[in-house]
Amino acid sequence: MGLTDDLGLAALTEKLRYPNINQFEKPNVVTTTVDFVFSWARSRSVFPFTYGLACCAIEMLSSGFARFDVARYGMEVFRPTPRQCDLMIVAGTVNEKMAPVLKRLYDQMAEPKWVISMGACATSGGPFYDGYNVVNGVDKIVPVDVYIPGCPPRPEALFQGLLELQKKIQKMRIVPPRPKPPDDD
Amino acid sequence: MPSRFETEAPDAAMQLALDRVRASEEAGRGSDMQGLGFNQVVVNMGPQHPSTHGVLRLVVTLDGELVKDVIPVIGYLHRCKEKLAEKRTYYQYIPIVDRTEYLASMNCEWGYVMTVEKLAGIQPTRRAEFIRVIMAELMRIASHQVALGTFTADLAPLGTALVFYMFRDREKILDLLEEASGARMMFNYFRFGGVRYDLPDGWVEKCRELMARMPRLIDEYESLVKDNAVFLQRCIGKGVITQQDVADYGITGPNARASGVPLDLRRTRPYSVYPELDFDVRLGEHGDVYDRYQVRMDEMRESVRIVGQCLDMLPAGPVQAGTLRAPYVIAPPPGECYIGQENPRGEYGTYIVSDGSRYPYRLKYRDPCFCNLQIFPKLLRGNKIADAVAISGSMDMVLGGIDR
Amino acid sequence: MPHVLPKIGSADLTIDEVAARLASEFGGDLVDVRVQEPDTVVARLDRADLKQVARRLRELPEIAYEMLNFVAAVDWLTHLESVYHLYSFAGNTYLELHVEVPRVEPELETVSDVWPSAEWHEREAWDMMGIRFHGHPDLRRILLKDDFVGHPLRKDYVDLVENHPNA
Repeated sequence: MGLTDDLGLAALTEKLRYPNINQFEKPNVVTTTVDFVFSWARSRSVFPFTYGLACCAIEMLSSGFARFDVARYGMEVFRPTPRQCDLMIVAGTVNEKMAPVLKRLYDQMAEPKWVISMGACATSGGPFYDGYNVVNGVDKIVPVDVYIPGCPPRPEALFQGLLELQKKIQKMRIVPPRPKPPDDD
Repeated sequence: MPSRFETEAPDAAMQLALDRVRASEEAGRGSDMQGLGFNQVVVNMGPQHPSTHGVLRLVVTLDGELVKDVIPVIGYLHRCKEKLAEKRTYYQYIPIVDRTEYLASMNCEWGYVMTVEKLAGIQPTRRAEFIRVIMAELMRIASHQVALGTFTADLAPLGTALVFYMFRDREKILDLLEEASGARMMFNYFRFGGVRYDLPDGWVEKCRELMARMPRLIDEYESLVKDNAVFLQRCIGKGVITQQDVADYGITGPNARASGVPLDLRRTRPYSVYPELDFDVRLGEHGDVYDRYQVRMDEMRESVRIVGQCLDMLPAGPVQAGTLRAPYVIAPPPGECYIGQENPRGEYGTYIVSDGSRYPYRLKYRDPCFCNLQIFPKLLRGNKIADAVAISGSMDMVLGGIDR
Repeated sequence: MPHVLPKIGSADLTIDEVAARLASEFGGDLVDVRVQEPDTVVARLDRADLKQVARRLRELPEIAYEMLNFVAAVDWLTHLESVYHLYSFAGNTYLELHVEVPRVEPELETVSDVWPSAEWHEREAWDMMGIRFHGHPDLRRILLKDDFVGHPLRKDYVDLVENHPNA
């Protein structure tokens, strides 16, 4: 296959199972697909939106500071305005008074955008599920990409959720796959 | 639900602000002495805002940069806790009390557990009392670290770097609390008659070691900001709470002590083993933002002293008074009780009415931040909007307690 | 800072002396004065007397009750009740006042001109329990959204569909 070991790409391709990287005979030249590069850049530099509502917000803050460092994943740019963000991490309970605000902020984000629902309250209402004022899950208002259970989820759990999101973003394609014609047998 | 291309009609709070603007203009107060018209703009700060520390919405009436009026709107985190109390047994409710003031969970649990023990006539064991004091004081240090860290982080966006040091050391305290109770934030550790788990082996030594290092770390925090001329200029003299305000608005905790009122429930209404411990109540002089910051720094030092004493005085013995066994049901006799305890933010307590069944009949929180927030309009009037951020940070709001 | 408030505990009275003092001072207005250990006096009050008793408590010589801790609203099924919890700096004691309110027309006088912190506590009592306070400067919902239907902490509150547009 002509893969040399100078760049170690053989081992890397094997380990990461990225089928899109190929290398010519000479080193320093790599071909891949545009989809792969764009998605790779998108997933490694997500700008999260500081939408911490309740206790989970403190774990989100902790994950941004020194011990659990979210900058390792390229996500340290927490922006308070939705216009500059890709990712809305809903951390905390959403109630009926807050729901229109959540929807409005989600609408103000530009595509492509993703939502992580962090914690039990955002996933399904949590310990307050039978409150008269609590929305049982933020997915009743906005579409959610990754759910992170926990009350509150540890920063490591948040990171696992972020890595799952990175995998999900990696699968994005600019051109949607062409529908296959039906088999005529 | 409004679609994205519609502007909403103003809701009740915005309408109130707009009505007040119109009323002041009609009454002739819409311009200054030279006849220059004020341009009063009603602006929404929140509920999603980096500086309001939670989902607090401030409907601010601004004239340029000057704040004319503030209407705080709360309820964006109202989780129906008082109604949930009537559907959960006393034991099942302990994790929910944790989530009231989520930065000071141990203290909140204590406020609830103390009241139920009084109603049911349970006396906690002596070792458990000391462990409770240790946990509460460690939580006080952690809570002040977050409070001061986010306060200085708001003054300049993460500019003072104090918040990084504070959160780094908060992780050390949370490590200790996690070893003892199993969780980093919502501990579910206190039980009626004691605490859930005894301290693991080696915990006391680790805690002693951390408390030996802590005074130097607190000195490090202070040294980062205390000579910063911008910090001092933004904090000294702003947002003064007078002693009359403390009584009028029910302000307790470090906010009251910064104004010179020695209201500390660990001394004025002693509970648990606090009478046997030796610590000072730190007071401020002027009641401004800087004093509130300084009182919290000093309180961290006092908490370190208290923890050191408790570790020395820790007796052997059981950590539960024999009430924790299946089916985990407790049914206090009919009656009502309120006991307040000293939270890092003020006086926190639950007023519980019991009707003899295993569900509380009525549970009402006395939350310090709810009372502290009422003084906001008075404090912020006449200040610039940047001072509003400094003042609100110094008052240390946790919306979980305000909205319950 | 000028020291306006009295020194905490300067009156130096035991809780029984405080209870006796209140019983004698207020005579027929404060009914059923009793002591709840260790430092709370509990009393019942008729709702017509609330305002003037509140004013007198605030200005009581020696043990003025200057701080209002909370106003709780309780739903006993036959009637509602409003509980005022007060603190006196000089006496370093608490006073718990219970005021009974009928269920059909739950109305009370506001005490927000005596203790300004009552403003938000009374708004919460109105929001949660439906007790209306006369003379309150701004009685509107505080914790729930403005178009919420019903008063949730009542025992007969049923979860309504109108209150859940997002369920």
